Amino acid sequence: MQTLQVVFPPTDFTLLAVILGLPLIGAFINGVFGKRLGNQAVTLMALGAVGASFVASLLAFFILRGQQAESQSAVRLTWTAWEWLTLNTPNARVPLEIKFSLDALNATMSLVVTGVGFLIHLYSSKYMQEDPGYYRFFAYLNLFVFSMLVLILGDNLPVLFIGWEGVGLCSYLLIGFWFHEDANAAAGKKAFIANRVGDFGLLCAMGLLVYYSGALNWSGIEAGAAGLATQVQIWPLGREVPLAALVGQWINAPVYVDASTLVAMFLFLGCAGKSAQLPLYVWLPDAMAGPTPVSALIHAATMVTAGVYLMCRMSGVFVMAPKAMLIIAFIGAATALLAASIALVQNDIKKVLAYSTVSQLGYMFVGVGVGAFTAGFFHVLTHAFFKACLFLGAGSVIHAMHARIHDTEASQDMRNMGGMKAFMPITHVTFLISCIAIAGIPPLAGFWSKDEILYMAYTQSVSAPEAVRAVYPGLYQWPAWAGKALYVMGLLGALMTAFYMFRLYIRIFHGEFKGWTIVKGWVDPHAHAHGDDAHAAHDGHDDHGHGGDHDHHAFDPDEPREGPRPHESPWQMTTPLVVLAALAAVAGFLNAPLIGLHVLDDWLAPIFTLAKTGVTSVDPEHAMMLTLAIPSVLIAATGVGVAVYFYYLKGGEPAAAIAEKAPGVHRFLMGKWYVDELYEETVIGAIDSLAEFFNWADRWIIDGIVARLTAGIARLFGSVLRFTQTGRVQAYAAAMVVGTALVGYYLLTPRASAQLFEDDRAGSYRVEAAPGLGYSYRFSSQLTEDGEFQLEAGDAFHDRRTTSFNLERGQSRTVRVEVKDAFGHTSKWERRIERPKTDGRPPGSVDFNTMIQQGADGRPRLVLPPGHPEPTLPDPGADPQGGAQ
Amino acid sequence: MNLLFPLSPLLVTGFGALLLMLTEAFGTPRVRAAAGEEVVDAGAGRSGELALGAAVVLLAGAVLSVAVWLAGPAASPELKLLEPWLVFDGVALFMSFVLCLGGAFTALLAGGYLPEHQIDRGEFFPLLILATLGAQVLSASGDLLMLFVGLETMSLAVYAMIGLRRGSARAVEAALKYFLLGSFAAALMLFGGALLYGATGHTDLRGIGQAVASIGQPESTVNAGLVLLGLTLNLVGLAFKVSAVPFHMWTPDAYEGAPTPTTTFMAVAVKTAAFAILMRLLLTSFGDERAMSWGAGWPPVLALLAIVTMTVANLIAGRQESVKRMLAYSSIAHAGYVLIGLVATMRSPIEGQASVMVYLLTYTVSTAGAFGALILCGSRGAEAVSYDDLAGIGRRHPAAALVFTLFLLSLAGMPPTAGFFGKLYIFRAAIDSELYWLTVLGLLNSLVAAYYYLRVIVSMYFREPAPGAPVATPMRSGLVTGALVLAAFLVLAIGLAPATPLAMALGSLTGG
Amino acid sequence: MLELYLPMFLMFAVALGLCCVFFFGGQLLGEKKPSPGKLQPFECGNDSDGAQNMKMSVKFYLTAILFVVFDIEVVFIYPWATLFKGLGWVGFATMLTFIGALIVALAYVWKKGALEWEN
Repeated sequence: MQTLQVVFPPTDFTLLAVILGLPLIGAFINGVFGKRLGNQAVTLMALGAVGASFVASLLAFFILRGQQAESQSAVRLTWTAWEWLTLNTPNARVPLEIKFSLDALNATMSLVVTGVGFLIHLYSSKYMQEDPGYYRFFAYLNLFVFSMLVLILGDNLPVLFIGWEGVGLCSYLLIGFWFHEDANAAAGKKAFIANRVGDFGLLCAMGLLVYYSGALNWSGIEAGAAGLATQVQIWPLGREVPLAALVGQWINAPVYVDASTLVAMFLFLGCAGKSAQLPLYVWLPDAMAGPTPVSALIHAATMVTAGVYLMCRMSGVFVMAPKAMLIIAFIGAATALLAASIALVQNDIKKVLAYSTVSQLGYMFVGVGVGAFTAGFFHVLTHAFFKACLFLGAGSVIHAMHARIHDTEASQDMRNMGGMKAFMPITHVTFLISCIAIAGIPPLAGFWSKDEILYMAYTQSVSAPEAVRAVYPGLYQWPAWAGKALYVMGLLGALMTAFYMFRLYIRIFHGEFKGWTIVKGWVDPHAHAHGDDAHAAHDGHDDHGHGGDHDHHAFDPDEPREGPRPHESPWQMTTPLVVLAALAAVAGFLNAPLIGLHVLDDWLAPIFTLAKTGVTSVDPEHAMMLTLAIPSVLIAATGVGVAVYFYYLKGGEPAAAIAEKAPGVHRFLMGKWYVDELYEETVIGAIDSLAEFFNWADRWIIDGIVARLTAGIARLFGSVLRFTQTGRVQAYAAAMVVGTALVGYYLLTPRASAQLFEDDRAGSYRVEAAPGLGYSYRFSSQLTEDGEFQLEAGDAFHDRRTTSFNLERGQSRTVRVEVKDAFGHTSKWERRIERPKTDGRPPGSVDFNTMIQQGADGRPRLVLPPGHPEPTLPDPGADPQGGAQ
Repeated sequence: MNLLFPLSPLLVTGFGALLLMLTEAFGTPRVRAAAGEEVVDAGAGRSGELALGAAVVLLAGAVLSVAVWLAGPAASPELKLLEPWLVFDGVALFMSFVLCLGGAFTALLAGGYLPEHQIDRGEFFPLLILATLGAQVLSASGDLLMLFVGLETMSLAVYAMIGLRRGSARAVEAALKYFLLGSFAAALMLFGGALLYGATGHTDLRGIGQAVASIGQPESTVNAGLVLLGLTLNLVGLAFKVSAVPFHMWTPDAYEGAPTPTTTFMAVAVKTAAFAILMRLLLTSFGDERAMSWGAGWPPVLALLAIVTMTVANLIAGRQESVKRMLAYSSIAHAGYVLIGLVATMRSPIEGQASVMVYLLTYTVSTAGAFGALILCGSRGAEAVSYDDLAGIGRRHPAAALVFTLFLLSLAGMPPTAGFFGKLYIFRAAIDSELYWLTVLGLLNSLVAAYYYLRVIVSMYFREPAPGAPVATPMRSGLVTGALVLAAFLVLAIGLAPATPLAMALGSLTGG
Repeated sequence: MLELYLPMFLMFAVALGLCCVFFFGGQLLGEKKPSPGKLQPFECGNDSDGAQNMKMSVKFYLTAILFVVFDIEVVFIYPWATLFKGLGWVGFATMLTFIGALIVALAYVWKKGALEWEN
């Protein structure tokens, strides 16, 4: 360990270059030479690169652990590739460096990315074997791992953004991997657009962070986070809206928002795009068009959790914004419920898993939304294991089905499955373990992480650090019912989760295998014996009635059939399943406070020190933990029980009955709440009708009127200019003459304009006229609505360009500036100035210029502009938990 | 005679031009004349060697510019002797570097293009170097007369370079149009200069500046009206050269009719030199607070020109069917962005000027690269002109398509290419100067522009040529390839280390 | 500043005035007795023939332009000659360079055949 620390010093931790470089080299070699190398070499290259990267991550993890244990505080190992450029802001010089760093949070995450990534690479080496684009697939996959590592290891937001875009690109490429299929290409496009919306938010957040916290790297943002405790004017842009006079001065009325809320909401917009939250979740279910290992790696285990990672990263910023955090927590809960309800009725097994992923991501956002960053991140970890295992298991099933059916749609439809238990024992067992884990049955991983989120949702709220709240009392406070509401929503989601997961499990692995009839060209030898009609009537267990026939004889897997039998997958595919299932079973013990285990909590504690100061709990002693855990176990058991009763014992009859009784609800859920259609109608419809309008305008106004008019004028001028043979050059020269005349007109006529410097709080105003060559000025003002303009100092024009005056609250006056230019012409400018009756800001808030900075002791400290009165701080003893009530 | 070293960028191009003239005239003709072709020219058939010679001369000029820049103009006090006629300061050296670079790109491209398209006329290269010399003088001139001499040296050579393809009616028309309108603009400038002299009694820019500053003082006799009229005419003359709307109308015709290397030179060097002198003129002679006023001086005029230029050019560019014409409109649009930087000098002079300088550098490498890639994609009898000509190039000639894509992305301003940082610095300077609405319009315009740049990429990669349609086959030329490799390297290098050119530009302004 | 030009403007005004006076004076005061012979256009006493926009060989223009180029040389050499002593060797070298450049140009023109009238 000592030697390692010498080889890799903390400020030049080149091991990060190794971790990052290997997948990049893999991607490069496979992408460029893959076609010539052959599949075996490609496999070796891709697996070797990611595997070695995993080993290096492991090494880095242990070095970090050693150092953190030594120093008893947060350790950050950094490696700077190069300095890119420097941004100059009014407050600071912000260097933008291509710099990477490793701390407890991303060391853990990088283990997941490279570890799970390696398993999925191994799995894909068999799954994609027959594909002609084999080398391309692995090049993309390696590139994805590289981008994901850039995302999590980057030491500042711009580097993270590069990775953020990189994973988006790889996701886009891999969703559309079979791009000859239109639907896949369309799904790729959808993901692209939803992510652009998110990126817009992230970019805006970056700009605001540079301005208000003076930094873009993690330690800098954390140090400057207190600078966000101020207000931003978000309207109008600049000093005023141009041509405001045309629509009225009300359009210039300023609008203020807390900087922290603005930043947090913009950051969340980015996270919502990448992590598929309302309202941007629509792309993720469609993204399942890509190969299944891609769904497992990108759309379940790693990329989609990038939003949660970013929120953990920015925890110091988020806890400054209670209002935004409340919105985030509720969006998370709503997403969890919405997605779970859709998953209840889907028949495509990948769709069920996709909506389940959206729903689980919702839970993670509930966790980070209530300021329980460790809990949210813990769910990222456990979810990575069980959801990757589920997806790979599903892939294994699809692989087996596809070998029979040769139809992508049908081989993913659970109505064609059943009884797979007998064919694929390993897949069955691992799938079952993961199902139990995600359903939240103790002691498997999902229970521990989900339960912690629910407990935290009930008890914890975001209140911003006390010192900030003390000087900035205008901050929002969470209502008391919020925690209870979140908890109840979480429980409802858990009930649905348990139900749909076991519905999925039972319909795949139990009952009779129904895929026999779907083999192409297969003719039912007993077709004459039992007609379709007769069967459909008895077909209670399938409420949707597909066109296939069913064998109603007792199920016998050994009975010889036409077409290949489904079979277990080869070892390259089952090994990852076993490893992931094992992790899904035991990973929960990383953080099981009920039985006294706090490994993850202790490991991440230094990262969330600042965030801890921004949350308050109604249960600081964790007395309610067990009380709150019991309902969640019961409800999970209920969900499982109902599913078993519906589908295992009764063969699906009750579900069909319910669907029949409430066809509207069923259709509504099958139609995925018609959100796609809603977007189609509103957003896309609006864009379409705009395009339609422009098309119309183009046809009628441009072509019809303008074109005809210009044609007419051109003809007119044409006949005038007929005698001159070089008509066009003269037209050009004429344009130049007109241009010259306009420029000359602008410069040679007097132009009165003035700038208003207002200080509404002090009531002092200054008007400064624009300078101009040879100009002289005269000021006058009108004190009452229709009174006379009174000249300020005699009739004469003079050189002085400014005038200033004071107004009482609610008082107004109109100021007129007249200028005379060198030719003696004059022009005037007028503006009505009114001092508002109130400030329009939260009562008791401090001045905008107030900055709160990190003091030497690490606690926020107030820096006031000179001459500002000291704000009165509330007595800390009187109301220690003001935010939690 | 310590002037030799600091003046070497000018001397090298000047003597290089003379030398090349003699080489071209007295060298043995090596003619690949097809039957019936008239051979007038001793330099015919030797474009390759002449191009290499010209490129060496111009690259030497670029390198020497950097060398003198590094030594620092302050290290050669003799340079003061040339003032106020020639102001060879850091900015002039930076611009001289950019101009020589643009000229060298043109020389290399012409070395491949001219023989390929059988307009193998040797006089192109001396003309090119002389035009570059004129551009250097123009960008360094500190006196209205010197300015005019530089302007005309550059322009006359360019007129001839446009009309190189004498047999083509379009080329002759293009040359004539540019010549007529150029003379008109030059006449306006001359008249403007006369008025300024009449009003202030000075032809040197600094003297004019002092006279303008004295307006309003009791003993001053300078007439503000005449000064403003002179300013108007000078602005118009230079707006013509940078092809700002509405003084741009010659641009598409001239660019399209000219041989592509000449187009490159016009888009790159002529524009750069015109911007350099516009910046110098405005800040030296009209840098007074009242002339640079946000309310009534030249900044609002330039801001309006910038908005109109960007918007009109981008809207029309999107409707073009010819890639060459699209690039012509794109170069007009880029003039609009540079104008934003010039407006920004109003409140933050140093940052504004530096952003303009860096933008011109990034624009030079990207535009030269884009035209070069267009040249590379075509061959004799099948010049790549329209979008359809480029269909499927991505599959047939991936290397050409790849570099073309790189330059287009740079023009569109995508990170991490040079173009992104050019735009970034411009917009940052604009925001520093509180030009929020101008910035928003500039950003919107770059979004619109991305559309037609991406359209080229789409047709290169995702379209197949219609059956029976003429297919452009990429040519083979070491010189063109060399130019493209150099340009691609610079586009990426500036994209990855953008701090260096910015530091150089800032250093040129602050003398550090 | 502008007052300096006043005499010049006066001179222009007087010249213009005189022209107008002679021209319009003749028109107004003179006796007019038109006859066909008097109304015929004439050209140095001979009848004119051919169109006015006659085509000229490009050689005329070339020669004219070359003449202008080398004629301008004189414009530079005259002021130099008056200050010759004061400018010293630097001035001499400068002028030598200038003339050298012109010689190169002459050689170029010669070699290119622009000076040959025949052919």
